[in-house]
Amino acid sequence: MKELHFKQLDEKMFHEKMDNGLEVYILPKKGFSKTFVTFTTKYGAIDRTFVPLGDSESVTVPDGIAHFLEHKMFEKEDGDVFQKFSGYGASANAFTSFTRTAYLFSSTDHLYENTETLLNFVQEPYFTQATVEKEKGIIGQEITMYDDQPDWRLYFGAIENMYKDHPVKIDIAGTIESIDKITAEHLYTCYETFYHPSNMLLFVVGAVNPEDMMKYIRENQSKKEFAEPQPIQREFPEEPLEVAKHENKLFMDVQKPKVYVGLKAKETSLQGEEMMKHELAIQLALELIFGRSSDFYVEAYEKGWIDESYAFDFTLEKGYGFALIGSDTSMPKELIDSIKKELKKVEEKWPFGQSDLDRVRKKKIGYFLRALNSVEFIANQFTRYAFNEMDLFDAVPVLEKMTVEDLQKAFKSIEGEEQQTVFSVLPKKEQTVS
Amino acid sequence: MFQTIELQQGIHLHIRPTDQFKTVNFSFKFKQKLSNQAASERSVLANVLLHSNELFPSNPAFRSHLDELYGTIMYLDSSKKGSDHSITLLAESVNDQYLTTGGVLDQVINLMQTILFRPNLEQGTFKESIVKREKDSVIQRIESIYDDKTRFAQQRLVELMRPDHPASIGANGTIKDVSAITKESLFNAYKKMLEEDELDIYVVGDVDVEEMTAKLKEAFPFKARAKKQKNIHENIEHPTSQKNNVSEQQEMKQGKLHIGYNTPITFTHPDFPKMQITNGIFGGYPHAKLFLNVREKESMAYYVSSSFSSAYGLLFVLAGIDASKQEKAVRLIDEQLEAMKNGEISKNEIDQTVAMLKNQLKEALDSARGQIEIYDQYKDLDEKFSVDSWVEKWTSVTKDDIQEMAKSINKELVYFLSGKEELSHEGASL
Repeated sequence: MKELHFKQLDEKMFHEKMDNGLEVYILPKKGFSKTFVTFTTKYGAIDRTFVPLGDSESVTVPDGIAHFLEHKMFEKEDGDVFQKFSGYGASANAFTSFTRTAYLFSSTDHLYENTETLLNFVQEPYFTQATVEKEKGIIGQEITMYDDQPDWRLYFGAIENMYKDHPVKIDIAGTIESIDKITAEHLYTCYETFYHPSNMLLFVVGAVNPEDMMKYIRENQSKKEFAEPQPIQREFPEEPLEVAKHENKLFMDVQKPKVYVGLKAKETSLQGEEMMKHELAIQLALELIFGRSSDFYVEAYEKGWIDESYAFDFTLEKGYGFALIGSDTSMPKELIDSIKKELKKVEEKWPFGQSDLDRVRKKKIGYFLRALNSVEFIANQFTRYAFNEMDLFDAVPVLEKMTVEDLQKAFKSIEGEEQQTVFSVLPKKEQTVS
Repeated sequence: MFQTIELQQGIHLHIRPTDQFKTVNFSFKFKQKLSNQAASERSVLANVLLHSNELFPSNPAFRSHLDELYGTIMYLDSSKKGSDHSITLLAESVNDQYLTTGGVLDQVINLMQTILFRPNLEQGTFKESIVKREKDSVIQRIESIYDDKTRFAQQRLVELMRPDHPASIGANGTIKDVSAITKESLFNAYKKMLEEDELDIYVVGDVDVEEMTAKLKEAFPFKARAKKQKNIHENIEHPTSQKNNVSEQQEMKQGKLHIGYNTPITFTHPDFPKMQITNGIFGGYPHAKLFLNVREKESMAYYVSSSFSSAYGLLFVLAGIDASKQEKAVRLIDEQLEAMKNGEISKNEIDQTVAMLKNQLKEALDSARGQIEIYDQYKDLDEKFSVDSWVEKWTSVTKDDIQEMAKSINKELVYFLSGKEELSHEGASL
């Protein structure tokens, strides 16, 4: 067991790689009565074409399968896993993103029993054709629920505009039609390929004794047998640098138009500290251009082009990345034009200096320190960073070293009209006039 | 948990010194009787006070200053609890010890003082342009509920069940009342808040109690005010619903089933802990009857759950279902409540629910905001709040108690929001 000490943050973390390849991290937090545990596989909605464990040819599985698999892990021959967690007072859950599937619980009591339930239910698959068929009704309702959510449709509409072939454009839960094709056999193929311990990470944070917990996990893992680990071969289509579509819209039963301007990232190959620096630099640049202290924000707010729903964000993973800026707005044209105008201004002449950087850097450092109060943030973000060979606890030192030139250079990744797209969700009553 | 100091009549300071967090949290809760007009005025007021002030007369100047204070979070929030409306000033600031430069905490206190006592005025009142802009903002916030079908359906259900009652008055008021606000009426609401509202001030973080008390006393010289009567929620009169089934249509795919029930049990009733267990077994958790029978067994829903609105003695069931299956879903939900009325409650269900309630309460206390919110709610009951005393209450609840509670639950209204039939074919093509 290795001990990692972050002096300035007053945190101590413990790490060990199990014989079967599982990475385990334990971070005790003083004063907490709860413990939060996540068990995550580096497998998400974008991993649809791959070489199954033990095979040599790649296969493409139905869309939405990673999420379907996540649902089905909770059902066992002897019943539902939630029952077990409830018996020990643990709140359990799971989520599937583009690149990860995480199983988690939090509890203030019976930590070892709950940890055992988590490790065992994720490592003992049980799928039958009957249980797979039954789940299609439940997930069908989940998909329908998202279909009615205009903000969700706006988000995916913008991504679909940006990406021509990359599977990030496919809805995480799939469609009613695609999940209908899923079989128990598909689930086993995906499970065996992606749920090998060497592709997974366990994070324990909160009220925990690190030595005892590590020993407990070691013993649990040594009792189980797994196939020899094998590097996972995923396949992704060639994706053009520029956006697939510059504009698209959807009509829904909403009160006010909703708009996203999307900026497709050119640089999506970095990993490790380089990736962290790049990602933070773009976030700081966006904060300067579109943050609440920016000239853009003041004008847009005072003129009523944006409301309290206004938001901007930058997402980066290996193989895809994008910035989104948008709001509910009764003046979509003015808002879109002003965002584009602002981007052009920055591209023509970089307007920010040292004092600007210092201000947004302070804001970001404060954000990280606040977030370290949240065990959920620590576990989820640490895992996300680790899967990209980064360390969450490097974020503050990397921010401290950042220069104005770093921001300017990183920003080039999302510069240029070729990278820009606009997606709008418009009120249905406007459909006939437009 | 908190050390309470009465600063003035009607003004209480509650401090909890702890090194559990890397930040210091402040919360000023101004409370006044809830009405549509008060909620409307106070929502706009919260926005106006947060827009700018005498020291930072423009919003970006104010925002930049917060950035410089290591992204200190500071905002005003408009909410309701029971028959009270609250304006809450929240601040969360990084503890000086984690920073290379100190003095942030004092600046945060100064800034909160500025927000409350030194607003951005013009000839003795708020500025017309700011008031107008923030009225628009609150109106947009009220309108946006329409786009979230679950929130919309829930709002409709409560409006139909309890019109003109605190249960159905929104924390942001109404579009009509917001529109009627003038800069003068808003300034009166501001003065009233400072002079008449009951105020609870909370501080959680690595602070010294005496030092912090002295600082806050100096920075916030509030005057004494009349103490409010304690709210007895169950006494509020209400007409009973005229109908027991209402269906409405919008253009959407899923059917939103919302069922409202009433019960004589409220937060201040001695049987409150029994009703918490009863709700938990009915639909509060993934081990509950609704989840197991409607979702897992029948595959009818992705979400189906119940919640107990203890301030008003109301209970709600929410489910997202296929629009053609309303009748079957209602029947299945009725069957689960009926089973509980017939005493079909296992020891396992009770044990699981007690374990979950206990865990939830302990977990909530792991965040500074959780500590503040839970203490603020439970301190109104006549007793010292502790986790152990509540666990004790839950543990002593028996099967017979739960059966009796279930019998007190009366179904009042079934509300169903779903797509327009003639349009249902083209839904997916857009």
